[in-house]
Amino acid sequence: MIVKITDTCITLEEGADTFTLLKKPVFPHFHDNVTKRAYISSYYEAGETIWAYCQASMETLADLCHDDPYFGCYAMLFYRLYPLLLSSSQAKNVISYGLPVNCGAHQVLQNFMTFLQEGNALTILPQSPFSLVSLGRQSSHAFLYCLDVCPTLTAVCDAICKVKPGGILILYTIREALPAELSGLCPQAKKDRFGTCTLYTLTADEALSEFASANGSENAILSRADKILQRVNDLQEPLQAMLAGAALPTDVYTITALILQQTEEILLSIYDYLENDELPIRANNLKEAVLSYLVGIDGGFDLTDYREKLTQSSESFFAAIQKEFS
Amino acid sequence: MNQYKMCMIPAVPLENVQLMKDRVVFPYACFRAFGESLRLVTKSTGDYPYLSYLEGAQLVTLPKEQPHMEAAIRYVSEHADEIDLLFLFGARGEYMELAHTYKTLRPDGIIYLKLDANIDWMSALPLFHKPFSDFLQDCDIISCEGRRLQSLLYKKWQRPVEYIPNGVYYPLYPATDDVRYEEKENIILTVGRLGDIQKNSLLLLYAYALAFPNLKESWELVMVGSVTLEFQSDYEDFCKRFPSLAPHVRLTGNIADKQELYQYYRKAKIFALSSRGEGGSPNVFSEAAVFGCSVITTGVDAAADMTDHGRVGRISPDIEDFDGYAKELTTLCNDTDYLARNFHQMRTYIKEYFDYDRLASRLRMLIELQLLKRRPS
Repeated sequence: MIVKITDTCITLEEGADTFTLLKKPVFPHFHDNVTKRAYISSYYEAGETIWAYCQASMETLADLCHDDPYFGCYAMLFYRLYPLLLSSSQAKNVISYGLPVNCGAHQVLQNFMTFLQEGNALTILPQSPFSLVSLGRQSSHAFLYCLDVCPTLTAVCDAICKVKPGGILILYTIREALPAELSGLCPQAKKDRFGTCTLYTLTADEALSEFASANGSENAILSRADKILQRVNDLQEPLQAMLAGAALPTDVYTITALILQQTEEILLSIYDYLENDELPIRANNLKEAVLSYLVGIDGGFDLTDYREKLTQSSESFFAAIQKEFS
Repeated sequence: MNQYKMCMIPAVPLENVQLMKDRVVFPYACFRAFGESLRLVTKSTGDYPYLSYLEGAQLVTLPKEQPHMEAAIRYVSEHADEIDLLFLFGARGEYMELAHTYKTLRPDGIIYLKLDANIDWMSALPLFHKPFSDFLQDCDIISCEGRRLQSLLYKKWQRPVEYIPNGVYYPLYPATDDVRYEEKENIILTVGRLGDIQKNSLLLLYAYALAFPNLKESWELVMVGSVTLEFQSDYEDFCKRFPSLAPHVRLTGNIADKQELYQYYRKAKIFALSSRGEGGSPNVFSEAAVFGCSVITTGVDAAADMTDHGRVGRISPDIEDFDGYAKELTTLCNDTDYLARNFHQMRTYIKEYFDYDRLASRLRMLIELQLLKRRPS
């Protein structure tokens, strides 16, 4: 895959296939354009113009990244970002998730954005979904998201929530197949594909924002917290009966252990957001105490110590849950 | 209740002596508790006389001409339908393809991985190597041998890891039935590879010397196990330096005869562990505990588990703290009431929480929970 640059056009080429990235813009009503900034006026002057800078940027990108499997994606990111970056004189905040910090594309894009407007920012997030939730809502004009780093709907929705209304989310990938959980979202996007590289561009409108809020991690955490509390509630009665020494059918112990196992798994699914990271293991310890108690009953053993452990594990678990979720 | 066709495949070929170790004994206890059959699948490393202790277990020897794991994978490919429960031992890369093969052929089957690990080993695992993380995903139930390690693994792996300690299979210890505290003597016993850097034997030797003047009664230190040349030399220096103590310290050498070894456990009131590190609670601890020895240990990963947080034993946390270890040892030796009381408490504790029969019952329940989880709700 190569970049071909002429006086009026920049294209990606591979074999006989061509993808037009940018055409030299024409401003028929230049003086009415909202972007009356120096860099626009320089467009007609002898100095470096946006177009010339863009040409140089694409050359640099090709030099630095031609061996990178994501080269085509980076070039197409320019194609999708260019109109947004030039849309107004407002400084733009672009966030990238999955772009390596030491990647040439990062430097090229940042330089180009700074050339356009000194206040433009390209922020590269660490490659952890946790970094997505640390940003304010609607804080960026564009979000560049590498799907191959974290192909989950929750994380993509978290990214969407960070885009201002009218801004764009660009998902890029070099993988052939889309993850199943994203198959509902991506068909709504503008799709650009060249070679192995694919971009999905979504514009943040009301419907998309609602969808993202419903499927993002904040909602997922709240919904899982509800499920945890529901299960904790379900556990109270059987555990109290066990601790009181009531004769219970074996199924009660099994179901209690099963609920604890589910609780443990839900807690692990929101592990990164827990204040007390010992909660999942407390659930496991309580499950272990319930099962040991049942082993004791089945074997006709003295239950004193088992009940004592069950009491301790139970108190410790419920106290920790209450502290976490109250 | 389901009866499972079980299979245990070691990462490296089994040796005879390992038939009496956790990797085989726990699967065997499970087989006796809820198994239809148990196959131990391995390349042969010689004769297996200990197989006679494992009535009903079948040893399947893999062809000699293939590497062990390659042959094991082939075996699983050809016999997956005869394996409902696959036991694996150790979080080892060798298992990656084997586990994947089994899960592909038997998605309804259960893989149980007993980690047999310590914190250092687990910290070094290549979790970001996808085939390895896939291997962990393929394992339906994973257990580790210490609670401290379990806590670390929850933080590191963010997946359920059960606590199943190295235990005791009582049918192998008929000699414990009639043990009485009154028959015990003032013996501090240790068993292990003396002089091995991990066993930290010098700590015990010199802590004993520091404790000796403060002991209300005469106590003997008996050190059982093979002796390195360096430790032999250290021991001789010790005897020259403390000639009055020398008669009280005995190195027996290695004792291969279990019945003879059990006599030492039977007589000892205290079992001392001075290790720098252990993967879970060592077998020698379990053996000592079933004979009602009170335990003193360094702060190995499983120290709190072995002593029930100091209730049925004492912990000297720092592996270099000779004074601290001596102080704990002195307190323990001088507290005759505690030793007598703890004889019963330790035996009860080990029976309740380390008995492989009971642990096997718990594993069966964990398996049933896994199967319940798979059912459509």
